[in-house]
Amino acid sequence: MATEVANAVSNGISSEVKSPVQSKYSKDKKVGEGTYAVVYLGNQISTKRKIAIKEIKTGLFKDGLDMSAIREVKYLQELKHPNVIELIDVFSTSNNLNLVLEFLPCDLEVLIKDTSIVFKSSDIKSWLLMTLRGVHHCHRNFILHRDLKPNNLLLAPDGQLKIADFGLARSLGNPNEELSSNVVTRWYRAPELLFGAKHYTVAVDIWSVGIIFAELMLRTPYLPGKDDIDQLDVTFRALGTPTDQIWPNVSNLPQYNALKIYPPPSRQELRNRFSAATDNALDLLILMTQMDPSRRCDSTQALLHEFFTEAPRATDPKDLPKKKEKKPVNEGNDNSNAKRRKV
Amino acid sequence: MTEQEKEVEEPVPKRVTISNDDLYRRSTQFELWSFTQESLDKAKQKANKTGQLLAQERFNQAFNKSKSENPELFERYKDDELNPQTLITLLTYEEESKFIQFYCQNIVQTTDYFRMPTQVKLTAISLFKKFYLINSMMEYHPKNIMYTSVFLAAKSENYFISIESFVQRLKDVKPSDILDLEFKILQSLKFTLLVHHAFRPLYGFFLDFQAVLLHPSPLMYDVSVDTLGALYDKAKIWLNENAILSDVAFLFTPPQIALAAMYDVNRRVTDRYLKKKFLTTSAVHNDHEEIGDENEEPTNDDNNEIDDQIKSERNQYEILVRTIRKCIRISKQEKPTSEESKEIDKRCKSALSPDKVIERKIKKLTTSP
Repeated sequence: MATEVANAVSNGISSEVKSPVQSKYSKDKKVGEGTYAVVYLGNQISTKRKIAIKEIKTGLFKDGLDMSAIREVKYLQELKHPNVIELIDVFSTSNNLNLVLEFLPCDLEVLIKDTSIVFKSSDIKSWLLMTLRGVHHCHRNFILHRDLKPNNLLLAPDGQLKIADFGLARSLGNPNEELSSNVVTRWYRAPELLFGAKHYTVAVDIWSVGIIFAELMLRTPYLPGKDDIDQLDVTFRALGTPTDQIWPNVSNLPQYNALKIYPPPSRQELRNRFSAATDNALDLLILMTQMDPSRRCDSTQALLHEFFTEAPRATDPKDLPKKKEKKPVNEGNDNSNAKRRKV
Repeated sequence: MTEQEKEVEEPVPKRVTISNDDLYRRSTQFELWSFTQESLDKAKQKANKTGQLLAQERFNQAFNKSKSENPELFERYKDDELNPQTLITLLTYEEESKFIQFYCQNIVQTTDYFRMPTQVKLTAISLFKKFYLINSMMEYHPKNIMYTSVFLAAKSENYFISIESFVQRLKDVKPSDILDLEFKILQSLKFTLLVHHAFRPLYGFFLDFQAVLLHPSPLMYDVSVDTLGALYDKAKIWLNENAILSDVAFLFTPPQIALAAMYDVNRRVTDRYLKKKFLTTSAVHNDHEEIGDENEEPTNDDNNEIDDQIKSERNQYEILVRTIRKCIRISKQEKPTSEESKEIDKRCKSALSPDKVIERKIKKLTTSP
């Protein structure tokens, strides 16, 4: 731990900024190692607050600082919201970048997979609400997350849900700017991305939230495509193949070809699939998973949807189901999972 | 309300509305990188002072080393040629400021040469300037800091370019020259990379000018989509020629800078927009339908509330116009010439390598008869 600041450029002014910062935190335990970062658990010495330190190796890559590290720092520095992971501090040790993040012991994927935990409809409503609030804050700041999925939705000990992993985030594009369509983990990827669109909006995040909503109700991934081609098929089998009638000019998108045409599902079919969903829940799901991104609702419309005002009221975060206490080994898995991505 | 009632009363959660202004005030651009003219000067002076101390130290070392190697020579010329006071070069705060401006022009050339998007150019300039609010040119020569700022800005703005293809097209730069500085720059930036520029609000104003001045029917006989389009284009050029090289990004918000550009390009149209936008109450309660350009007095005198409203709007409008004018003035401050910059560059290099200056001097003194 006590690797003293042997900074490469320790001439005068440069080093005085960080050595005191570094001693403010302890790195107690290594809990995960990814390609570009090591994650430690520790404490903020002054407050005893539990924290996670993500140590990002710099000097390792031939092109200097890694893009995902740059994005993560860039956006987390700007976003302060109860439903976005808090970047408590940033400091440097001998050319490594250290992000001090709040400690979040669990994520939504872990809970979804743990079939011994029962989700009440009010629990699902609470998680969805917190997700949308966090997403709304990102979008108000013109930031696209581009990798929303259950294991990037971390859970604090007090039940608050926090959006994490901004390694793929970017600012909303300028009018003529081309964006990469190779973003978002496949199962949560919006149809415009599957079609290779170079211009897209916050609607890609809303799609992901819709699919997560479905997964919370089903307790299994809603659209688990085996590969990129299969993803198109799985998506349209469930929600209907988009045509120029329902989504003008969709057929001009790069990857729109040789599609099997499935009819859109009837209300009854959706009702059968989501048997516990109320009409309002189904309406909201349908709004968030509109094929045409311009018809998809935005975060404001979603948050104002009647689903959130009808009974039952969303569960208070502190009363939400929690991970069953087992061995603390799990903490490590959660943290390393958070970095894994299938792009 | 009795004491008891107070106790049982449930606290009603207060509804807090977060405006877009609130969001801006929470950005790192506002919290860490916005200044008053005084605090900006102070920051620059501090960086300059630190640089001078470092340069002084560096000079002393070189001087003493050289002196111990040539004691007689230093004794003989101690009052003139080898007097430390005349031999040392320290850049003043004004020189550093000028040189920074000059290098911002170089950044524009570099990013244009690589055909990088405007966003990269603007961010690179921002990173570069922020670096020199913390550091001095007497510690880091601006050339490689400039290239590294461009390289880092390109990554931060999603315009990735590999280090080889970047360096390949530059003169006398190795990958390590850039990669070794990248982290240093990020540190000086206090790990903040998101920059809000004036170009996006400028586009927003272009749209809003159309909404306000053309709909439902044109407010001015000579204003159309085409003239507003021309205004927008000229304002972009104005920003490139004036604002981005100056310090306005540290002193004003992006929308203020955007309005300054439009105001200076076409004061009549921009002022009309601002009046229509900000003097809404006086527009409704005024006798004349249209708002006169200057010195117009609200004519409503039977309603104090409306009067106050009009006064406060008028006040807001005037503050805004004053701010815009100040922004224009600072944007258009004189830019350094390349002769001036060459001279500063020489002095900058002397401050960075005093050993070479002393060496040259000794050579001159020992070879000349």
